[in-house]
Amino acid sequence: MSDQKISVAANPAVPGTAAPGHRVDPLAIVVRFQSLIGLVLVAIGGVIFSPRRHGEILFLNPDNIANIVRAVSETGIIAIGMTFVIITAGIDLSVGAVLGLSSVVTASMMISGGFGLIPTILAVLVMGIVFGVVQGTISTRFRLEPFIVTLAGLQAARGLALIVSGNQYINISYGDGPGLAPPVFAVLGERLFDNTVPVATIVFIIFAAIATLVLNTTRFGRYVYAVGGNERAARISGVPVSMVKISVYAITGFASALAGIVHAGQFNFGSANDGVGYELTAIAAVVIGGTSLFGGAGSMVGTVAGTIMLGALANILQLNNITPATQLLATAAIIVLAAVLQSLVRRREGLGR
Amino acid sequence: MSAPLLSVTGAVKRFGGVQALRGVDFDLKAGEIHALLGENGAGKSTLMNLLSGVYTPDEGETLIDGKPVTFNNPREAQAAGIATIFQELDLVPSLDVAANLFLGRELMRPGGMLDVPAMRREAKRRLEAIELAIDPARLVADLSIGQRQVVAIVKALSYASRVLIMDEPTAALTVGEVERLFEIMRKLAASGVGIIYISHRLEEVPEIADRVTVMRDGRVAGITEPHAPQAELVRLLVGRPLDELYPERARSAGKALLSLRDASFRLARESAGWQPPTGVSLEVREGEIVGLAGIMGAGRTELLSALYGTGLAGRWQGEVAVDDKPVRLDSINAARRAGIAFVTDDRRGSGLMLRMAVSLNLVMSVIRRISPAGLMSPRRQAEAVTRSFGQFDIRPKNPDIAVGALSGGNQQKVVLAKEILGNPRLLLLDEPTRGVDVGAKGEIYARLRALAAQGLGILVASSEMPELIGLCDRIVVLRRGRNVAEFNGGVDEHTVLAAANGREA
Repeated sequence: MSDQKISVAANPAVPGTAAPGHRVDPLAIVVRFQSLIGLVLVAIGGVIFSPRRHGEILFLNPDNIANIVRAVSETGIIAIGMTFVIITAGIDLSVGAVLGLSSVVTASMMISGGFGLIPTILAVLVMGIVFGVVQGTISTRFRLEPFIVTLAGLQAARGLALIVSGNQYINISYGDGPGLAPPVFAVLGERLFDNTVPVATIVFIIFAAIATLVLNTTRFGRYVYAVGGNERAARISGVPVSMVKISVYAITGFASALAGIVHAGQFNFGSANDGVGYELTAIAAVVIGGTSLFGGAGSMVGTVAGTIMLGALANILQLNNITPATQLLATAAIIVLAAVLQSLVRRREGLGR
Repeated sequence: MSAPLLSVTGAVKRFGGVQALRGVDFDLKAGEIHALLGENGAGKSTLMNLLSGVYTPDEGETLIDGKPVTFNNPREAQAAGIATIFQELDLVPSLDVAANLFLGRELMRPGGMLDVPAMRREAKRRLEAIELAIDPARLVADLSIGQRQVVAIVKALSYASRVLIMDEPTAALTVGEVERLFEIMRKLAASGVGIIYISHRLEEVPEIADRVTVMRDGRVAGITEPHAPQAELVRLLVGRPLDELYPERARSAGKALLSLRDASFRLARESAGWQPPTGVSLEVREGEIVGLAGIMGAGRTELLSALYGTGLAGRWQGEVAVDDKPVRLDSINAARRAGIAFVTDDRRGSGLMLRMAVSLNLVMSVIRRISPAGLMSPRRQAEAVTRSFGQFDIRPKNPDIAVGALSGGNQQKVVLAKEILGNPRLLLLDEPTRGVDVGAKGEIYARLRALAAQGLGILVASSEMPELIGLCDRIVVLRRGRNVAEFNGGVDEHTVLAAANGREA
């Protein structure tokens, strides 16, 4: 027994939820892959309940699928950032407002400011990071709940966006010369590869891939889990807890700014009032993806699957002309189901009620 | 002979593939105090949860007065007269005693208003029935742990009055409080209540119990008299005679590792209840295990946490040297740079990431070393984890399960292994075997001694006097933050206690 070989999973995607070797708890497996399973179920449901035209299943129509993944890309980018924050047991409510602010700043820098594309994008991304760093610093320095700090951040970002935009839509016109955005920016609203894959989705997927690597293979990623797993234990082990916390808010700030740029490119305007409620959609996607609001556990793949699942669900309901009210109720049911499953697993692990 | 008050026959309970109870027979007579002993994982908590209706058994029968009963939830067990007092007392600290006693069954005036005076009167009557003078209007938060325990008992008895199950009620109590609790238990037993008393503390058993059931591996290992010799109880508990709990002492110690000379920790802001080190002089040499003794509040924990930089804000004055070179120990990083590691007395609260895998917890203190250029190296991580499992017999031998699912002893081994991985030169330990069963204790002592033999210096604070006396080479006694006496290991307990209390031996 004592010389038994010890195997170590190189990269447990969901640390801690792994069940002991031969007695695997099926429920834990379901929860670990709940959003993927959910996505498959929604897709199957989509095929079954999809309206058909000339025998073609509309749900599977390439244009429809492109629409689904395009529609979720902005909240998806935000949910990726949010996953980092939630794994540290934090929350960021400012993301939707920062998206609005970023779309406004993007549009006004190019249109009224006459800045080029690259300086504009860099400036907006840096602004997002700074916004997150400020929130993270206030939260750690004064030991304030991130809920409160980012609630204030939400108000601040909306206020700034209104100031910058004068509460007007800033339309983006393309062309060469002052007051016009370079035409290449409009690519964010287009599709590549024979007009199949939306560019916004490509941005989302690339961001998700990088985030997955950061979370699973870097020291920083491990710190993120550690801080959420037990902040005091992390501190005693020499983890730079404040730095990690500030960094995750910098990541959500960056993600929100990126989503804001994509937003401006897709819709050709900046608006201070866009992105309302995105924070809740993103949190929902993260939770459905199996990340625990208690911190310390979660996965990026889950978040991506959760995001697409919510989009696919909305799409089926729309295809069947079901009202947005019903969509909301369906989303509510799924969030509750995901949370209940997680709670059951926690209880089986004997880790609290 | 009449049927016992409560009995269980052939109880089996499985969790997934784990069989927590493998056919347990247990009975409790009216008026009896029945001690239930067992190491962590022996199944006593599961048995308790069956009796209190938290779990339903997979097989087996529960009988009250000889009649079969089934409990589907705790409420049904309460209705049958079984009250359980869990370690985490289910009291609301921000409410007063009376409000807690009547929580969920408040007395009302006509019109739906709370009848506070009636509840306070009734609360006072019930408290006085067991001769406890607690003002029912006091907040629970302002009570001592011992007083809270009694309030919890009174509350439990107010809705279930035949069987009282107590899970380690003395774990957090002072000696005086334990005495008072035992008096109350005896009084309740005399009035016909049957009490199941679960404890880790073998020495309490003869004092309070009428009968003892020892569990091991989900079975009843034996039922004995409370006055059975302790060696017999230990043999039943661990399944083998425990020849030597404490390892042999070191022959010699090396050069000085940590030396404090008239060292005081000046707090940035005074804090009630935090006794800062005050004019402490002590030395820990390579290969030496030095104990810190002292009564509650003498400043043992404070000394360790001030050395490691996790205490309150402040700075050291006087001489603090590592390797005879003065160091400024003002932060966790400074301590770690000096080769100091620290294991807290609160492994669940500040030692472990409970939901994360054992492997991830183990490597937490060496994470820099196994992530060159910021990228985690799975190979180096596996090497580190294998090393830890080689040093400490952590069960189960699976690094991928959540550390929170391990027993207390195994969790403690993980915390220790984690710090050892960082190759510290000086290890600060606060209550290294709190909530750890006897078997794991012996193993931890042996491992600490082996590490010391390799040159590690260890400074260990403990409230368990036999542990300090058995394990340490030297014992430094603290009183009000100051070192007041020093003894060699193996000294008799009374001498140390006398010094700790400021009396002549």
